[in-house]
Amino acid sequence: MAEEFSLSLAGSRKRLVTDKLAKYGVTTGAVLVLTALLLIFVYLLYVVQPIFESADIEKQTTLKVQSQGKTLALGMEEQNEIAYRMTDGGLVEFISLQGESSGSVILQKQLAGKVTAFSQTIPSKGMMVYGFDDGTIQIIHPDFEVSYPNDQRLIEPSVSYPLGESHLTIDESGGAIKHLAFEMSDEQAGIAAVMADGRAVFMALTAEQNMMTEEVTWTPVSTVLPDAPAKVDQILLLPNLRNLYLRSGNRLAIYDISDVDDVHLTTMMDINSPGANVTKVRLLTGASSLIVGNDNGDISQWFEVVKDGSRKLTLIREFKAEAGIIDIAPEFFRKGFLTLDDEGYLGIFHTTGNTRLLSEKLSDKPLEAVAISPRANAILVEEPGLLSLYHLDNEHPEVTWSALWQEVWYEGYPEPDYVWQSTSASDEFEPKLSLVPISFGTIKAAFYAMLFAVPIALAGAIYTAYFMSAPVRSIVKPTVELMEALPTVILGFLAGLWLAPIVEENLPGIVMLIIGLPIGVLLAAFIWHNLPKSIKQATPEGAHSLILIPVVILVGYAAFALSTPVEYWLFGGDARKFLTNELGIDFDQRNSLVVGIAMGFAVIPTIYSIAEDAVFSVPKHLTNGSLALGATSWQTLVRVVILTASPGIFSAVMMGLGRAVGETMIVLMATGNTPLMDWSIFQGMRTLAANIAVEMPESEVGSSHYRVLFLAAFVLFVFTFCFNTVAEFVRQRLREKYSSL
Amino acid sequence: MISVAPTTANAQALDLANLTEAQTALEIKDLNLYYGSKQALFDVSMKIPKGQVTAFIGPSGCGKSTLLRCINRMNDLVDICRIEGQIDLHGTNIYDRNVDVAALRRRVGMVFQRPNPFPKSIYENVVYGLRLQGIKDRRTLDEAVERSLRGAALWDEVKDRLHDNAFGLSGGQQQRLVIARAIAIEPEVLLLDEPTSALDPISTLVIEELINELKSKYTVVIVTHNMQQAARVSDQTAFMYMGELIEYADTNTLFTTPSLKKTEDYITGRYG
Repeated sequence: MAEEFSLSLAGSRKRLVTDKLAKYGVTTGAVLVLTALLLIFVYLLYVVQPIFESADIEKQTTLKVQSQGKTLALGMEEQNEIAYRMTDGGLVEFISLQGESSGSVILQKQLAGKVTAFSQTIPSKGMMVYGFDDGTIQIIHPDFEVSYPNDQRLIEPSVSYPLGESHLTIDESGGAIKHLAFEMSDEQAGIAAVMADGRAVFMALTAEQNMMTEEVTWTPVSTVLPDAPAKVDQILLLPNLRNLYLRSGNRLAIYDISDVDDVHLTTMMDINSPGANVTKVRLLTGASSLIVGNDNGDISQWFEVVKDGSRKLTLIREFKAEAGIIDIAPEFFRKGFLTLDDEGYLGIFHTTGNTRLLSEKLSDKPLEAVAISPRANAILVEEPGLLSLYHLDNEHPEVTWSALWQEVWYEGYPEPDYVWQSTSASDEFEPKLSLVPISFGTIKAAFYAMLFAVPIALAGAIYTAYFMSAPVRSIVKPTVELMEALPTVILGFLAGLWLAPIVEENLPGIVMLIIGLPIGVLLAAFIWHNLPKSIKQATPEGAHSLILIPVVILVGYAAFALSTPVEYWLFGGDARKFLTNELGIDFDQRNSLVVGIAMGFAVIPTIYSIAEDAVFSVPKHLTNGSLALGATSWQTLVRVVILTASPGIFSAVMMGLGRAVGETMIVLMATGNTPLMDWSIFQGMRTLAANIAVEMPESEVGSSHYRVLFLAAFVLFVFTFCFNTVAEFVRQRLREKYSSL
Repeated sequence: MISVAPTTANAQALDLANLTEAQTALEIKDLNLYYGSKQALFDVSMKIPKGQVTAFIGPSGCGKSTLLRCINRMNDLVDICRIEGQIDLHGTNIYDRNVDVAALRRRVGMVFQRPNPFPKSIYENVVYGLRLQGIKDRRTLDEAVERSLRGAALWDEVKDRLHDNAFGLSGGQQQRLVIARAIAIEPEVLLLDEPTSALDPISTLVIEELINELKSKYTVVIVTHNMQQAARVSDQTAFMYMGELIEYADTNTLFTTPSLKKTEDYITGRYG
């Protein structure tokens, strides 16, 4: 007896240890899973978070300006080590900004002649042009040579003269140059000038390279602008040398200069904001947009929009600074700009983001000039006698809530639109990072997949669970579930390379198949139902569903065999052309129909499996209760079984939806990945998941694009998380409701 | 031994072997039932009188529930089940080829062992059978609900929450709701398959009282493993054993002076 007792105690101790181990093991596992999930969330947010930060500036140094003269242009080289300043006295000086020599002038160059006009090209070109009182101009370009003696970076400034050091005469008879604009590319250059006698002259230069010496010679052709306003305040020249703007007060005269022999005034228009006067106009990088500053602090963006077949300069959006604008400095490569106003505020704006990122009072004294560094990470501000260098933290100005989720009027677009176009060959490209088209694509792909999958999967599940005999069910159910193991990449390439061409070639056949199959199946069932009992009883149990196989084959064969005749008969031999020409429906080879079918196949096993379990587990006593009240099988199914199984069926559909939303490979391979916003079944789409898969490898780590892709991942995560949570919540609620079963 | 309720309506015991056609609700003739190759019922023949409560008793597996389920053809749902013989409901063979099973079940209602309300409101549970017949008129449905719930002695308890979910009711209330649901379609026969076996004693008592009231309108056939219950509620009792009908007599006689040894052994608790 005593022995038995001690034995049982030893056993219980072992059991206790196992019990504890199991308990901690399970707890650890669960905590690890939750932590991993949480970490994914946190990491996604960590990467995404910087895009929603607004700009921030921090003062680094303040230097004394040592030379006289009013500043005409201010700038910095890429490393923010050297600044340059050009004065109205024709002085070009380079000032060190870093280290011990900070504030000292490194290089100074005095241009010959009396300066009467000044202008600069778009920032990325970085050229300045001086106009002199004798009707000549000189073009200069601040150059920075970087070398690494003793592994130390050394930047040496110099001044170069793109069109030669000697002055270029614009007009000999007109006297001094009063206003000036200049732009140049490798092959051509254009100079526009307003002379003292009021004439506006445009000179186009064409480059010609000597084959032997490789020396470039420029051939000038000049012309006088007709109908020029009497008083010109500013000239703006587009770098593509197609348009020229003369601003006279609030009025803008737009000239077409694409043909030097036929320069003409196209239109005149007011560009001031109501009740205010224009103070300054600058071209945004890319030179498609005008940024107009007003004396009441209003800033407006204008660009040409094609409307009714003609291009028209249109007001796109407006910004608000604190007070009257005195200077505008566009960024070098992004669609942002800085402003200074006459109350000493610095404003930082971005056009795509449609936002004021910063407004900060820098000084009580009036500010003179502002410049932004090429990398947009530093700002130079001049007040009388002082230069201040600020560090600028403004990594992702183009990404804002409105840019991601609202219609944005992008440069060159006829109207505001949702567009995803993240990259382009050009540096001056305006990234279009709207998540709407790809979220839309996700929903569209899921919608068509569900449209295909839900009826088939649910009907199959209900039939298997409720009507099928047990032996057949035991074969059918695992077979359908096995489909889930099919790698989606295989479904994807089958859909893209095999199914898509078939659908394209047999479009009428596919449509007939989709319509014909359910009709054929119902017809077969009806015929079977009306067969004499003797035949029905002669067929072995469960075999009656096999008669559908010849029906399906027959309908399929008939649909494809009739496809070509029908195409000739109804659609003139080419259904695609008919769709496009007669109905105006565009047809993509890889379209939503293909995706719907392919992704439908991927989703069917998920929905089928869960729904089948749900229907099958409806308690027999409920079914019997209904049958005992005189209900037919069908009435019982509709009124009791489906109702009771509804939590399971609902969660099956939601699980399927979650799967369809997150599915990547099928949509990647079976659609054209075109980020369109169009419900048409014959058009492709781009989904969040496919978008990430396509673009992540080519996106620069830490860039706005990279972070927006992470945001897309986050949105996708939220999508599936929401679907699954709603599914689980509803299922729990419904289960609670039916818990006493 | 077992106290037998005084039979009020039919003080005179019926001659069960020679019931007139007017007195007979159901006549079972030479019924054999097979589950696959196994025979579950052997040559059962009996007449069940109209407007009375007939109880089937017997040990587990004796076939009493199977016999009950033959009366509204619930056994049709079992794939491997095969039936020979016939059951006449008011003179019509329910196993005839032309009989619509759904129509039969509207005339022969059934209440199961476990309360099985549908996941719907109390109201919808009661009108379920009526809605199946396509009745949509609100007044008809409302009247049927009140009549049936009163008939099932549940009206006073639920009249203020007719549109609450039926699962909110207690087990006994649920079972009475199921009875109300069954009598809402006004069947001729009501089959009760161990209706109180899942209930507590107080609920059982309420149901038993209800059964006594039900027989004024319906022919009630009840299967029970509880002999006291059979003695309390039934007018006739049939004792079954191993798929055979051993003895069938009015309850009083069967429980006080059983004519067969097997019956006596069972009711005195020697096996069961």
